[in-house]
Amino acid sequence: MLMQLTLGGFAQGAIYALIALSLTVVYRSTTVVNFGHGDFVMAGAFLSYVLVVLAGIAFLPAAVLAMLAMFVLGVFFSKGLIRPIRGGPHIGLALMCISAGYILRGIARMVWGREVLPMPPVFDIEPIFIGNLVITGDAVFIIGTVFVLLVVFFGLLGLTDLGKMVQAVYQSPRGARLIGLNVERFNDFSWGVGAALGALGGILVAPISLLHPDLGASFLIKGFAAMTLGGFGSLGGAVLGGILLGLAEQYAGAYLDSALIEITAYVVIVLVLFIRPHGLFGRKAVVKV
Amino acid sequence: MSTTMPTSRQRRLRTWAFWAVPVLLLLTPLATNAYTQFIINGMLISILVTLGFTLVIGNLGQLAFANTAFFGIGAYASAILSAKLGLPWIMTIPLAGALGALGGFLASSAALRGIRSYYLAIITLAFGELMRWAYLHTKPLTGGTDGLPLPRETMFGISLSDDTLKFYIFLAVTVVLVKATLNLLRSRFGRAVMAVRENEVATASLAIPTARVILTTFIWSGFVVGCAGALFARHVGHVFPESFGMLHLIASFAMVLVGGLGSVLGAVLGAVVLTALPEYLRAFPGMEELFFGLIVAAVLVAMPLGLASLLRRLSPIFVERYYREES
Repeated sequence: MLMQLTLGGFAQGAIYALIALSLTVVYRSTTVVNFGHGDFVMAGAFLSYVLVVLAGIAFLPAAVLAMLAMFVLGVFFSKGLIRPIRGGPHIGLALMCISAGYILRGIARMVWGREVLPMPPVFDIEPIFIGNLVITGDAVFIIGTVFVLLVVFFGLLGLTDLGKMVQAVYQSPRGARLIGLNVERFNDFSWGVGAALGALGGILVAPISLLHPDLGASFLIKGFAAMTLGGFGSLGGAVLGGILLGLAEQYAGAYLDSALIEITAYVVIVLVLFIRPHGLFGRKAVVKV
Repeated sequence: MSTTMPTSRQRRLRTWAFWAVPVLLLLTPLATNAYTQFIINGMLISILVTLGFTLVIGNLGQLAFANTAFFGIGAYASAILSAKLGLPWIMTIPLAGALGALGGFLASSAALRGIRSYYLAIITLAFGELMRWAYLHTKPLTGGTDGLPLPRETMFGISLSDDTLKFYIFLAVTVVLVKATLNLLRSRFGRAVMAVRENEVATASLAIPTARVILTTFIWSGFVVGCAGALFARHVGHVFPESFGMLHLIASFAMVLVGGLGSVLGAVLGAVVLTALPEYLRAFPGMEELFFGLIVAAVLVAMPLGLASLLRRLSPIFVERYYREES
């Protein structure tokens, strides 16, 4: 029982980690929190559905295509809608992200109406039984994909010049500009990466859940909870926060009350912000007056 | 863009105009059918919701999204008090406002603990969703997914399901709360609110109790929106958890922005413009979201100061005291 819950928690947590990571990528380079990110996740899931079910493409190339499409969308969103209001107050930026999310959701609902779509199963792997533990193909695939992606992601950040650029822009956009980095283009790129990673979260969830246009809202909150728990702006913290949140949900749902699964994330947000606002690994960024 | 302040003659004119609007509105039931009256009643509610929201995100400049939570609290408070305790509905309006104010107090306690900016946005979003979860999971009190119907009731011998009677009550509440908010913003307190938005540290250094200013603004915002919730409960006659979800939030955002962030006049304009339109879109799934999303994006890029700024350019009568345009 405990092992089964832990496996389920890791599989869910891997997806939360991915979403929190994609939010953090954007936040670190642009200091914008994408309040519409849930709908980017939803858009990724729907795009993969369109490509797999309607266009008949195999799952893996479809997933890559959907991520590329979301990358382009992220870049255009940054160029077209975020840049013009960059200098303005934070409220404007938050609202712009929310409205972008609503536009995506509106489009999804216009096309699909109020239907709930099941994605055909894509991983035809026989479940493995170890004692009482059932390891499903989905869980293996999700955890494996996220693990590989994290290795590549942190490898790129830690070992290449790109990682140094990311760090430079995070520490001081102005300083980065002074040493000749094109911060504007870098920000567009970050939006693209954030959108593509978020979309991957949606693509991974699509086969194991039902698709509907409001799918994103709960993932947004879970991404926030993971980010808050790990510490805002910390990449490793986002990943760890996601995994911990996934585990907490499973345990709370099984041992306390199944209705608690839905609100674990909210409770985590409220508790963390009141008790330890900078999370596990975040910089202290709380305004004290 | 520089705006000139109104002359004293224009200010007198403005006072007259302010009272002339509700007086003229008293006549509207003569010219409307039941459906238009219903929409107009909805506009009055939206005015209060937008007003409460703009106070916090516009005037005080805090990224707090708990507005929908206050609205839901007010509506459920009114419905529960009249359905379960048998209070006359009219009595539940101030009580719903008080509970909304309590919600405002809770939200401000987060802000006062130093949870600001995006953190405040996230915690208040979580607050709203927790409230929605609570409506769904306290079935004996709220009816869960089935919602809670308000009991039939009469006032002055007229049924409270009559839209004309509701209109007069709604109008009275709206006028009182809008006027009270205007007075509040015109006072020493209003100046302090603006000062906190511009620079909290500098404000504190002038011996202005910034914590109390933030607390009071949140409480007043919660009160206004809580009262609006009570009106809404009677307006639709049956409260459902879905009415207080994200769609309500984006609609309120759109109203605040289209009218003009932090402007009372803007709150009224935004609410009036954007209440009627979505009624026609409701038949097409997804159109509401798309519409509000596009409107907010367009206003942010093209007209960040909203409709109120157009009126201000037209005549200094519309210039609000202590309203500073961000340059």
